[in-house]
Amino acid sequence: MTGRQAPLLSVRDLKVVFPTPIGMVHAVDGVSFDLEAGQSMGIVGESGSGKTVTAKTLMNLLPSYALVDGSVNFDGRDLRSLAAKRKAEKHLWGVEISMVFQDPMTSLNPVKKVGEQIAESVRYHLGQTRTAARRRAGDLLEQVGIPEPGRRLDEYPHQLSGGLRQRVVIAAALACEPRLLIADEPTTSLDVTVQKHILDLLDDLRAERGMSMILITHDLGVVKGRTDEVMVMYAGRTMEEAPTEEIFSQQRHPYTEALIETIPNINSASHTRLVPIPGQPPVTTSSPTGCPFADRCRYATDLCVAQCPPLTPLADDHQVACHTPVGTPAAETALAANAARGHTATGLEIHQSGVPVGAVVDGPGERV
Amino acid sequence: MKLTAELPVDESSGAVKARRLGLGFWLPMSWMILIVGVALLAPVLPLKDPTDYFIRPGERPPYPPSADHWFGTDQDARDMFSRIISGARVSLAVGFMSVTMSFIVGGALGMVAGLVRGWFDRLASFLFLVLLSFPGLVLVILFIALIGRSVLTISVTLAIAGIAPVGRLARAATLSFAEREFVIAARTLGARNSRILFRELLPNVIIPMGALVLLGVAAAIVAEGGLAFLGLSIEKGETWGKLIRNGAGSRVLRDSPWVAFGPITVMFLTLASLNYIGDYLRDFFNVRETGLGR
Amino acid sequence: MRFWGLRVGMLIALLLAVSMLTFGAMNLLGDPLFNILGPVAGDTENPENIAKIQAAKEQFYLDRPLPERYVRWLGDFVTGDFGVRFSASGQPPVSEIIKERLPRTLALSGMAMTFTLAIGIPWGVWSGSRSETARDRLSTGVAFFFIAMPNFALAVVLYYVVGIRLGWLPLRFDAGAPFWQRMHQLVLPALTLALGGAAVYQRLLRTDMITTLQEDFILMARAKGLSRRHILFRHALRPSLFSVVTLFGINAGAVFSGALIVELIFGIPGVGSLFVESIFREDFPVVLALVMILTAAFVVMNFVIDILYSVIDPRVRQ
Repeated sequence: MTGRQAPLLSVRDLKVVFPTPIGMVHAVDGVSFDLEAGQSMGIVGESGSGKTVTAKTLMNLLPSYALVDGSVNFDGRDLRSLAAKRKAEKHLWGVEISMVFQDPMTSLNPVKKVGEQIAESVRYHLGQTRTAARRRAGDLLEQVGIPEPGRRLDEYPHQLSGGLRQRVVIAAALACEPRLLIADEPTTSLDVTVQKHILDLLDDLRAERGMSMILITHDLGVVKGRTDEVMVMYAGRTMEEAPTEEIFSQQRHPYTEALIETIPNINSASHTRLVPIPGQPPVTTSSPTGCPFADRCRYATDLCVAQCPPLTPLADDHQVACHTPVGTPAAETALAANAARGHTATGLEIHQSGVPVGAVVDGPGERV
Repeated sequence: MKLTAELPVDESSGAVKARRLGLGFWLPMSWMILIVGVALLAPVLPLKDPTDYFIRPGERPPYPPSADHWFGTDQDARDMFSRIISGARVSLAVGFMSVTMSFIVGGALGMVAGLVRGWFDRLASFLFLVLLSFPGLVLVILFIALIGRSVLTISVTLAIAGIAPVGRLARAATLSFAEREFVIAARTLGARNSRILFRELLPNVIIPMGALVLLGVAAAIVAEGGLAFLGLSIEKGETWGKLIRNGAGSRVLRDSPWVAFGPITVMFLTLASLNYIGDYLRDFFNVRETGLGR
Repeated sequence: MRFWGLRVGMLIALLLAVSMLTFGAMNLLGDPLFNILGPVAGDTENPENIAKIQAAKEQFYLDRPLPERYVRWLGDFVTGDFGVRFSASGQPPVSEIIKERLPRTLALSGMAMTFTLAIGIPWGVWSGSRSETARDRLSTGVAFFFIAMPNFALAVVLYYVVGIRLGWLPLRFDAGAPFWQRMHQLVLPALTLALGGAAVYQRLLRTDMITTLQEDFILMARAKGLSRRHILFRHALRPSLFSVVTLFGINAGAVFSGALIVELIFGIPGVGSLFVESIFREDFPVVLALVMILTAAFVVMNFVIDILYSVIDPRVRQ
């Protein structure tokens, strides 16, 4: 944000592989990004895209059998070597980098009081006394917008509603003033009405503290207007990375385009059919030779099947991994050719209008 | 971080393990077949007389294990091998008899209580609770002291002590089944309680209880062993507990440990096998303790 | 309030039932006089015996009907009058004998239960967090060994291995010297009683831990950067507390009962060995008193454990 400072978080060519009975699963296959202090980034993708594994790598939460390659640098420190040491950094995770999980009911210990679970990090990492920690926990509850914080400290998770529980989780994550907060699907298991409140809360807290944030979600709508940047992941790779507005106004990757098309628009005519993306995300048991999205992409060409497109910068902040970025002449040619043939280079059937079969749009499907 | 317990539990291989009866099952099973077989056939096997004295002139007993006496002899030069086998006859007999009795009586009480509920259930549950209030062998010892010591009385007393745990289990199992549709269906068809008991509930309750029979036998053998060790078991004849007691004097133990360790080993192998198979069956049929107050 | 009333009522009912059963057994199984006095009862020619018989009849109200006998005995018992011992000469009061011996048994039991918890809980937690390793399989085997072994056999084995062969711990119990100097003499007998229980804890906690460690809140605790030991003992262990407390009650019963054997083997003059000796001496006033005391203690302990349940799990309270 302020110029040529080194970024707070720098990930280079991160690869995470899990050995499984069915083969080696490449959960993350060469992901790189930077995050500046105070900046927020959204990581968007379907399940299996590798977004959660990336987060877990940053938080040192991977199982011991995971194989990791690449570099992860936080504030100049090599996180991977710190994680590998037996007596790892005791006061990094939970202090400088913190995480909020998806389901607050299961991420809170059901038999411990709420106040205790917040105060725990403070007492462990900062060495505060029980009373001081309790006071701090009360302050935090207030900051996350929980009414009657004093009373809530002594309650148990099952006595709170879902939204309040998630606020508690956020309070616990913020207890030691982290510089980076990772939120993995923080609103997915909450009621829709509560989702907005929680996201607003995260925005406010971030602004107040100048905290960096990574917001992970499968729902593009969640990041709209909230994050500075968005990174779209698919099959363990980065497909597109750009400032948030550009992702919405001028997306370049066919996957991103398809994702945006799936967002229902309240202004559409009634009975407008929803637009799914045909097919399933792949289980990456081997590094694909071609583009991993090719099977589901309406622009797919022979080049797409043969060669995996590298992440290339199209504009100053905008990177895409695609041979036929949306809106370029290459893409238009490819689409026309596919529509004429009736199918793409991978055999995906295409209507004459250029829309894939199985993604029929009956009424006007407006682009957001 | 090295918390290895986060390895995902492999559901499929867990189930596969339970279905196949591997070496882990057959090893203890073979021992049981061996020991029970030998115990049953003892009268016709070419064994030495357990009450005979095999004194060697010039040497003072006890004699260490040798080709002649596989387990050595005790202080009175009696052959340990045959004594252990004759002890097996009594210990196993008491074990199986008492368990049979307690499962029949306790099982019946528990099942009826679970089905009929009401005052009978309350009474039976209270009875179980009272019996369970006596720690360990205290009640058994009291009864034995009062009514005398024979294979029958000891088996009956142990059976009485076993009624409570068995009864509670049977009751809990019955309760969980009685709620199910097939019982309600039988009732609506007008079936009387006794019919429901025998035709619907019994076949189902027997499964979890059967899995626990072997564990009960192990417990009974241990109980009899404890009584014998205290000198409170049968007066004539041998049991494992008595044999161990015989070999446990500090002088004997120091100079000729085989007198005690022979019966200890055999008893341990038997108990370990019973426990192992019992555990195995319990996991196989997925029996859970439902009476722990949760 | 009703919660407590019901529980206390049940406690009293249970104690009464236990006393009735015990008293009934003594008086209905065989001849009560014989039960109390032993062979002395039959020998009516010796004038000393006649005096004893008379004393016994008075003390135990043998000329009165059974229900009255019971009530009077109960009254005496509750006020601490356990009668006198007839087998020894001079008729020493039973309560004195018990008072002298009880502390030793309490010390032994207390030590045993402490060992059980101190060994069993960390062992189980550690195994649970390292399941599927070779060390864990060894642990499981060792635990199985201690579970299958009856306590009297284990006592003999330990006596031999630790006492005789290795000579690490003393074998005799010396009742003369002051108590705190003699504590280490109780270690071996206490261990005998403790190891079986510790193994049961290990098995239970290991299974529990494996399950609990897969829960999401453990992941969250790790995300907070807490140390492994902190997570194991402060988070993962909590849901298992229920089982730990339940096992404690069951284990206490086994310890009370096992003390009878262990005290005998190691020559500890406590209440357990008194019980066994009295059985052989047919000294039934003592036996009666001891059965009541041991059982009442056990019942009260289970009652306390019941109360603990509601303290531990807040969800039970509602």
